[in-house]
Amino acid sequence: MVGLSLGEQTFIKGGIDQDLRTDGRKRLTYRPIFVETGIIPQASGSARVKLGATDVIASVKAELGKPNPSYPDKGKVSIYVDCSPTAEPSFEGRGGEELSTELSSALERCLLGGKSGAGAGIDLSSLCIVRGKVCWDLYIDGLVVSSDGNVLDALGAAIKAALSDTAIPKVQVSANAPSDEQPEVDVSDEEFLQFDTSGVPVIVTLTKVGGHYIVDATTEEESQMSSAVSVSINRLGRICGLTKRGGAGLHPTVILDMISAAKHVSEQLMNKLDSEIAAAEACDEMES
Amino acid sequence: MAGKPGAAAPTYSPSTGHRKKRPTIQTDSEWVRPDGRGLHQCRPAFLKTGAVNSSSGSAYAEFGNTKVIVSVFGPRESKKAMMYSNAGRLNCNVSYTTFASPVRGQTPETKDLSSMLHKALEGAIILKSFPKTTVDVFALVLESGGSDLPVITSCASLALADAGIMLYDMVASVSVSCIGKNLLIDPVSEEESLQDGALMITCMPSRNEVTQMTVTGEWSTTKINEAMQLCLDACSKLGKVMRSCLKEAASAPQD
Repeated sequence: MVGLSLGEQTFIKGGIDQDLRTDGRKRLTYRPIFVETGIIPQASGSARVKLGATDVIASVKAELGKPNPSYPDKGKVSIYVDCSPTAEPSFEGRGGEELSTELSSALERCLLGGKSGAGAGIDLSSLCIVRGKVCWDLYIDGLVVSSDGNVLDALGAAIKAALSDTAIPKVQVSANAPSDEQPEVDVSDEEFLQFDTSGVPVIVTLTKVGGHYIVDATTEEESQMSSAVSVSINRLGRICGLTKRGGAGLHPTVILDMISAAKHVSEQLMNKLDSEIAAAEACDEMES
Repeated sequence: MAGKPGAAAPTYSPSTGHRKKRPTIQTDSEWVRPDGRGLHQCRPAFLKTGAVNSSSGSAYAEFGNTKVIVSVFGPRESKKAMMYSNAGRLNCNVSYTTFASPVRGQTPETKDLSSMLHKALEGAIILKSFPKTTVDVFALVLESGGSDLPVITSCASLALADAGIMLYDMVASVSVSCIGKNLLIDPVSEEESLQDGALMITCMPSRNEVTQMTVTGEWSTTKINEAMQLCLDACSKLGKVMRSCLKEAASAPQD
């Protein structure tokens, strides 16, 4: 990324102070969101989200697996984000690994909730087939194709869209299997169950530049940030996860203020995203 | 112990107080803590600096069953591949011993913990005071008894102070667990495995600044407010304990 001159930095900071960003947006306005679902035929569900110039793809694959012995009636979900070198040349090889781990752990925190499963965006008990023996393993993979800031929000939106596009095959368990052997499961090719995504939260990242917060920062604005707080909020207005990024310290009242600003923004984002996802799915059905 | 179907005779492994059934949680009742603490009571902390002789600075922390040793090396020459920079660099590494957890070798994601430790500490270190060089912080968890990352962070900040690295302020860290309606401060691993949500705050008590905060699980704003207050109070008390530990170490007779 080309460095910013002192004049450009002052322009960005001054604009934010006056509620007018370099692309004309207000502080709490998102860039236009574009959602496309069902783009990867081999995955159980997939989606692509474009947030301005940020472009991410999320895919969900469901495979049969064995549940964790400490949680026998829950399925497993694993989230992995890959930062492709097409987004930034510095991501080649191990360069993007740090960002990948940061994004993956932030997403896991937001979507999977506490250890007992409370507050999770994805209901893990619905993934269980036979208690203690067979369950669905969901592998959620994110790919950052092009990065222009606010990758975490875009990934959150893409995962939400991909999950609403996910169809899990119906499973028949043979009832006459002896109780201590692996039961035979018959995965049907015809019937599918749509995944329930009413509980999946959206992620809103608030970036603090100077004395104000902005939503959906571009790469230029992110380079001027002192710190950022990413809040994950679900439809009921409850906070499902929070991560503070950036090195500078923040006063606790500032954090609480950012949380309430994020709550306010998340309602609009949630509605916008839901309508975009519904439109994308309608488009998808018309084509197939 | 459940053996795998069709495997050889189930192997024996010692387990302390392994209950056959998980205690059922009633969300309305008071949670009784296994070690008899109050809900808003932290574990007694044992902190000691100078645990490792060969490093620039080191510290050992014991919070109940969580035992962590941190050693700091530096400031020392950066690796050849790194470019010149005006500010110093911080490199953090967290690792678990194989005997740290009840099941051998079962460790949480250490790359994740290393990057979180880095973020927690970088806001407190005056990096401009050691340009061109790197400070390495190595944390080793000897026993994981719950609330690991907060203990690692507090111990690391103590080790940095012991090494003489210039800091804006001590870094203290505390986590709170939410089980039903109860907020438990400084959870043990049993409470962590049953938690509905967790909130961890790393702050600089004297400057009243939060350097890192993570929230997991479902929270309402009032609950977050309450939990933050609990954590910040506990952090300021922990900060005082850390300072008194450093003063003792400094005034102790040299032998």
